[in-house]
Amino acid sequence: MNEADKKNWGTSYGQLVWQQFSKNRTNLVCLWFIIILFTIAVLAPFIANDKPLIININGKVHFPLFDTLTANDYSVFLAAITGITLVSLIRRNSRKIDPFLRSGVLWKQVLICTGILLVGIILLQIFFPRKLDATDYRAMIASGKASNAIFPLVPYGYGRTDIKVSQKPPSNEHWLGTDDVGSDVLCRLIHGTRISLSVGFVAVGISSVIGIVFGAIMGYFGGKIDFIGMRLLEIMMSVPTFFLIITIVAFFPRSLLNIMIIIGITSWTDDARFIRAEFFKLRNQDFVQAAISLGLPLRSILFRHMLPNGIAPVLVSITFGVAGAIFIESALSFLGFGVAPPTPSWGQMLSTGVSTTGEFLWWLTFFPGLAIFFTVTAYNLLGEGLRDAIDPKLRKAV
Amino acid sequence: MTENGIILSVQNLSTFFDTELGVAKAVQDVSFEIEKGKTLALVGESGCGKSVTALSIMRLIPSPPGRIESGKILYRERNILEFSEKQMRQIRGNKIAMIFQESMTSLNPVYTIGDQIVEAITLHQKKTYDQAWSMAQEMLDKVRIPNPARRMEEYPHLLSGGMRQRVMIAMAISCKPSLLIADEPTTALDVTIQAQILDLLDELQQSENMSILLITHDLGVVAQRADDVAVMYASKIAEKCSCKELFKNPLHPYTQGLLHSLPQLGARQKRLNTIAGNVPEPLNFPSGCKFHTRCPIGCNDKKCQTVEPELREVSKDHFAACWYAPGYETKLTTNPFGKAQDR
Repeated sequence: MNEADKKNWGTSYGQLVWQQFSKNRTNLVCLWFIIILFTIAVLAPFIANDKPLIININGKVHFPLFDTLTANDYSVFLAAITGITLVSLIRRNSRKIDPFLRSGVLWKQVLICTGILLVGIILLQIFFPRKLDATDYRAMIASGKASNAIFPLVPYGYGRTDIKVSQKPPSNEHWLGTDDVGSDVLCRLIHGTRISLSVGFVAVGISSVIGIVFGAIMGYFGGKIDFIGMRLLEIMMSVPTFFLIITIVAFFPRSLLNIMIIIGITSWTDDARFIRAEFFKLRNQDFVQAAISLGLPLRSILFRHMLPNGIAPVLVSITFGVAGAIFIESALSFLGFGVAPPTPSWGQMLSTGVSTTGEFLWWLTFFPGLAIFFTVTAYNLLGEGLRDAIDPKLRKAV
Repeated sequence: MTENGIILSVQNLSTFFDTELGVAKAVQDVSFEIEKGKTLALVGESGCGKSVTALSIMRLIPSPPGRIESGKILYRERNILEFSEKQMRQIRGNKIAMIFQESMTSLNPVYTIGDQIVEAITLHQKKTYDQAWSMAQEMLDKVRIPNPARRMEEYPHLLSGGMRQRVMIAMAISCKPSLLIADEPTTALDVTIQAQILDLLDELQQSENMSILLITHDLGVVAQRADDVAVMYASKIAEKCSCKELFKNPLHPYTQGLLHSLPQLGARQKRLNTIAGNVPEPLNFPSGCKFHTRCPIGCNDKKCQTVEPELREVSKDHFAACWYAPGYETKLTTNPFGKAQDR
């Protein structure tokens, strides 16, 4: 196959959407903002940590930062590597660089990658040893036991408490000030990115999987199944979600995973409704009939042939959903129902903005508030951009 | 099973749709047989139940509102109406394949041509992805798509209607089905492409020894391609015989009317002949013979208006559902359809 042939190859739907999406500068800015946020979240222990990257103790070189990375850190790295691999595979496939990478192969690769990721995370969580390193390296340097240390950009750990420097406004030492227990605000903000983004992603992941499967089955079968499903969905919708979450959180231990799951299983109704409507429309399309007449199994018809044609509105709702989940998590943490205190969370930081003496500590409200505001806005703008990009009315003729 | 055995036998099939206005009897008491390697054409006006018959064979009737009320569909002497959905998946695509009328919308827009054919191949045959890929390429070559290697990588919107129909055919025949249901395969295509597609089907039928159920309203197509013909009118079969016999000696007044309304090349006609009146609504069929409202002889006959004629063997292998067949013309002083039977 020569070059001219390659150029003439068709543009897929995804490429068309991307063309439309990337025309708008706001969309790109938001996308970059979120990519940077992700980078910060993944590399958080390297950016803000009280362990030095490298240190010379008694003539021996140590790497305390690498030694103290936890199972969670490695899980995040694994997830990031898988994500990057997947994105590059999809891009390779859509550009048709490699004729062997066809979507059938790609599906397998996606499945394998996800499988490796899940197995890896589970293995890490079970088998990775918990290492505690309570050494105060700064004190060691001060006392002359160690030398030649290189600290990360923000040389504080998020769990560090130091009452001596509590509630200090921004200074050269602590760029964004310190909170009530003397932790560095910038460090907690950086580590909080992880919590917020992972809550957003995992919660929306759970809710969209439930919503898509539920909606797909309702939309495809219709009739009685649809009737019963819709009534269930209406019951679900009539419950005020936020109060339900608060109630559930009160009964279960305050862990991040619980919050993700609870947000996930209470916010799938919109996705289910979108998918149901799309599937109603798609069910009688000729290509779906043709797929059935080829004898394809139901799984393939629903999720391979119908879903990609009806996923667009759900993608938009997913982006809004991520923003919503971040917001809910912040609100929960603000009210004290969120993650337990040593774990940093933007909402929880907000709640420390008023001291016990009634004093307003502006830096504890302003910076986390700004972080929440920008992240939620970026996701919402991204969702809006995506909605415009997939709208066929706005697209010029192909 | 003999070499020329009957591959599909539809017996007294009735398919009804429950609508808000009542039960629409889309197909009633339809019976026909298809022999191995032969083509049966199902002819009739729009809405007479041709497509519903085809969809019933594939068990693709949306239910609700549709339901197969009664009858048997025997594929190689096994009633597929009693099959489970899992057994049915083994039949669909593998043993009985279908080509749809709308070639423009029958391919999934999000996958490349190659992916879609490969999926059809790997579904029913034990092939690796690469084997299936090269087989799909052969298939495209077989249906005479130029530059198949490149087309495999393209998305359906880049292909013309005729090409898409070829892809659909390639997909349908990729598992070497013994019966191909072609539901108006050429209606959405222009005339030159029509001929090519039909030639292609003919050729594939010869090479694969495949049976075809050809659903069409184009009598020209029927005359050229079919071995046997069943004419449907208002949910029932009006006449059933070999193709030659039908054009030589049509017995049912509806068939005669159809043949008479064909435009004749070279003849000076101001207007084309038509059959007066409209196809009756499936919710509101007339009593007696369903054609009596439009029939030149039945319209005044008490028997035609009240008692419905059964499909009966009028002469050898020639069935018609008409009280007056054969030779109803003798009852009239002038033939209202002109010289249709002279063709």
